[in-house]
Amino acid sequence: MIELNDICFSYSDTIALNHINLSIKTGEAIALMGANGCGKSTLLKLINGIISTDKGSYRFHGEDVTHKKLQDSQFSKLLHQRIGFVFQNSDTQLFCSSVYDEVAFGPRQMGYTESEVESRVNDCLALLGIQEFSKRTPYHLSGGEKRKVAIACVMSLNPEVLVLDEPMNGLDPKTQRWLVDFLNKWNKAGKTLITSTHNLDLVQEISKRSILFDETHTIVADGKTEELLMDEELLKRVNLVDQSYCYHKGL
Amino acid sequence: MDNAENKPADLPDWLLKDENYIPLVDKDTFVNKSILSVFKVLSRIKKQDSQGLTGSRIHVPIHVLGTFLLIMLVSLTRSFIFVIIVNVWLLAVLSMIDSERLVRILKLSAGVTLCTAVVMLPAFILGNTYSSIMITTKVFATITAMGLLSHTAKWSALTEALKKFYMPDIFIFILDITIKYIDLLGELSLNMFYALKLRSVGKNRSKYSSMAGIAGSVFLQSKELAEDMYHAMECRGFTGEYHINNKSELKWLDYLYIVINTGFLILFIYFGRM
Amino acid sequence: MHIPDNYLSPSTCAAMGAAMVPVWTKAVRKVKEEIPKAKIPLLGVGAAFSFLLMMFNVPLPGGTTGHAVGGTLLAILMGPYAACISVTVALFIQALLFGDGGILAFGANCFNMAFILPFFGYYIYKLIKDHVRSEKGEYLGIVLGSYAGINVAALCAAIEFGIQPLLFKDGAGQALYCPYPFSVSIPAMLIPHLLVAGIVEVVFTAAIIIYIKKVSPGTFYKGARVKTKAVYGLVAGLICFTPLGLMATGTAWGEWGADEIKEVVTGGNALGFVPQGMKEGFNFNAVMPDYAVSGLPEAAGYLLSAVAGVAIMIIFFKILSNLKKDKAGNNVG
Repeated sequence: MIELNDICFSYSDTIALNHINLSIKTGEAIALMGANGCGKSTLLKLINGIISTDKGSYRFHGEDVTHKKLQDSQFSKLLHQRIGFVFQNSDTQLFCSSVYDEVAFGPRQMGYTESEVESRVNDCLALLGIQEFSKRTPYHLSGGEKRKVAIACVMSLNPEVLVLDEPMNGLDPKTQRWLVDFLNKWNKAGKTLITSTHNLDLVQEISKRSILFDETHTIVADGKTEELLMDEELLKRVNLVDQSYCYHKGL
Repeated sequence: MDNAENKPADLPDWLLKDENYIPLVDKDTFVNKSILSVFKVLSRIKKQDSQGLTGSRIHVPIHVLGTFLLIMLVSLTRSFIFVIIVNVWLLAVLSMIDSERLVRILKLSAGVTLCTAVVMLPAFILGNTYSSIMITTKVFATITAMGLLSHTAKWSALTEALKKFYMPDIFIFILDITIKYIDLLGELSLNMFYALKLRSVGKNRSKYSSMAGIAGSVFLQSKELAEDMYHAMECRGFTGEYHINNKSELKWLDYLYIVINTGFLILFIYFGRM
Repeated sequence: MHIPDNYLSPSTCAAMGAAMVPVWTKAVRKVKEEIPKAKIPLLGVGAAFSFLLMMFNVPLPGGTTGHAVGGTLLAILMGPYAACISVTVALFIQALLFGDGGILAFGANCFNMAFILPFFGYYIYKLIKDHVRSEKGEYLGIVLGSYAGINVAALCAAIEFGIQPLLFKDGAGQALYCPYPFSVSIPAMLIPHLLVAGIVEVVFTAAIIIYIKKVSPGTFYKGARVKTKAVYGLVAGLICFTPLGLMATGTAWGEWGADEIKEVVTGGNALGFVPQGMKEGFNFNAVMPDYAVSGLPEAAGYLLSAVAGVAIMIIFFKILSNLKKDKAGNNVG
C-alpha cells in the first residue's frame, strides 16, 4: 500500500533521509526504530504528506504522491483523511476549546450531519475511555489524557493508516499498557499501523515487523521485531543501546 | 487490580468500514500561508546559527557600526552619485559571498526596492523625479547593507556587538531570549499548523476559531515556558543582572573595512559640498 | 505598516526616537512594578509571541488572507506597558535581523506600533469595558479598541509621511524624502486600514481573546480602572500632533496643484521641473551613460561602471547556479 523508493530528503544542508526503500502492506503493523535524530520523524512526515521530495518516489495505493499533487487540496485532503497522524507532542495537535469540539473537528469537516457527528464523537470518546472529559478544555488535561484526545480526534476521521510518532513518550506504565492493547485492537481490525519508538520493551508487542535506522539516516535492518531485538551487535552499532543492554527472551 | 477498566472498548462498526470519502472544497490558504511564513522565519534562524563556521570575517561590532554609518550617510546625502557609489560597493561585496546567501539578500532588497518603485511611481509621473529615483536607490542600498550584516554575522554575535554601543546587558539578554523563543514557539506553531492542515480534510466552517486556537495555545504555552525559564534561571543563581564578556582582536580585514568606511565618510562630505 | 528607511528624514526619525525615550522609560518602570521580581524572561517570551503573531495569516472572506499586528491583543493580554516593550523588541529584531522596517525609522515604527497602537487600543477597550459592564460591553471594547488602535497608528504613519514634503525640500522645491503630502498619504494609508487591515485586526483580536477566555480565563491583565482623563489626555495629545500637518495641508496641496502645474506650463519641460541633479549636468535617463558617470572624473566613472558590471555579472551567474540547485532540491509545506 505504501511504497517508498530510494527516498532522500534534507533540510537545507543537513541530510535527514538517505536512500530509503520501504514497502508496507495493508493491515501491517510496523515500527521505526533508531537513535535520536536518525530521521524517523522525517519519514513519518513524508508519509503524511507534510513534506515531499523530488528524490525518489512515494506511492500510496499505487498512486504517486508528489509535491505537485500535494498542492492540489482535493488530493492532499483525501490523503490526510486516509492517513491519520498522531504528533509526538500532543499539545501541538489540540487547538479547540473543548474535547468534544476537538474530536468533532474532523467529522464536521467531512460534511456529516450534527447527529452523525455526535454519535461518532461519542464512540471515539468511549473507545478511548475519556467520555468524562467531553466538556473539558484539552489544554488543561494531563499528558496521558491529552494523548488520548489526540488519538480520538484522529480516530474520528476513520483513517486507513494510523501513524504515531513516539506514542509511548511521557505516558505512565498503566496508560502505556492500555495504549498497546488499543493499538493491537485497531490493527486486528485490519488497519495499518506505523509507529516510531525508542521503547524497546513495548515495541514487539505493538508490531511484528521493525525497521532500524542508523546514524547515516538509512535503513540498516528490516525484519521481525523479535530477531532485531536479539541482535545486540546491530543495536549497539546504530547507537540505540549501550553495553548494559540485555534482551529478555519471552518477556 | 481493575484490569477490566484498563482494557480498551471494542471498535464501533463505522471504524471497521472503509470511508468512501470525497473531500469537500474549501478555501483555506491561510493555513498554507501561515506555514510558509513561520517556516521561513525558522529556517532563517537555523541558517544563521550554522553560519558559525563560515560566519562574518569582519569584527562584528565594527561591521555593525560600519553598516549604521553607511545607512546614516545614505539617508542624509543629497548626492545621487554618492548613493550610486555605495550601491556599487554593496553589489561588489554581494558578489563575493556564496550564491545561496546572495539570493536571499537580493530577494529581500529587490522586493522592497520594487515595492518602493511602485509607491513612488505616481510621484515620478507627477514630476517629482528627484525624490522618487533617490528614495528607490537609497532603499536598495539600505536593505542590502542590512541584509549583508544579518546574513554574514551570527545573531548572537550581533546582539553581543550591541553591548559595545552601551546598550544595557539586560536588553541584550531579552533580545537573546526573544530569538530563542521565536524559534521555540515558532516550531510549536508550525507543528500546530501542520496538525490543523492534516485534520482539515474537508470544509472548515470555523476558520477563525481554529486560527485563534493556535494563537491562543501558543500564548498560553509561552506564558508557561517563561515561568519555567524564570524558575530554572533562579535555580542557577540569576538575580536580574546579566553580564556579557567578550574579547576579540582586530584583524587586517577589519582595518580595511574601517578604511573603506572612512572613505565613504570622506566621499559623503566631498559630494555634500557640491 | 513597517516604514522602511529613507521614506522619512533622519531628523524626523531622531525626533520620533526621542519621543519614544520617555515612553520606554515609563514602560520599563511600570513593568518592573507590575511583574513581581525580575521576571525578565516574560518580556522576551512576550516579544517572541508578538513577533510570531505578525507571521500568522488571518483568513478573510473569499479565501484571501491578511496580516494583523496584534498590538491591542497584546495590551489586553499583558497590559499596555508590557505590550509596548514586547512589540518594541519584536520590531527591533525585525529591523535588525529580518530587514523588515528601517533601522533609522525604528523610532517612528515603535511610536506607531509599540506606543500608539497598544495604548490607544487598550484605553478604548478599557473605557468601554468599564462603562458598559456586561459581556457585550467587553466585546464591544475589544472590537472598537483594536479597530481604533490600528487605524490611529496608520494615521500616525500617514502624518509622518505627509509632513516630509512640507519640511524637507531642496532648493528646487523637490521633496527630499517621502514626496506625498497629506492629501495623498492620509487616504493612501487610511483607506486600506479602515477597510481591510482594521477588520483583520478586529477578527484576530476577538477570536483569540474568546479562545483564551474559554480556556484560561485567569490569564488576563488586570489593569486599574482607566481614568477618563487619561484617555482624553491621549486624544488631546494626538490632536495636537495632527494639526501640525492638517493646518499645512492647504499649502501642501497648493504646491502640488498650482506651482507645479505652472512649471509644467511655463517651463516647457515634459517632466515639469528640473531635478537638482540635472542642473549639475547629471543625466537621470540612464544610470551610467557611456560608461562615464557625470559629475565624476572620467576615470573614476569607468572604474565604478566596471566594478558594478563585474559584480552584477557574478551575482547573475551565482543566482543562475542557485536556481539549478533549487530545482533538484526538496520541497517543504
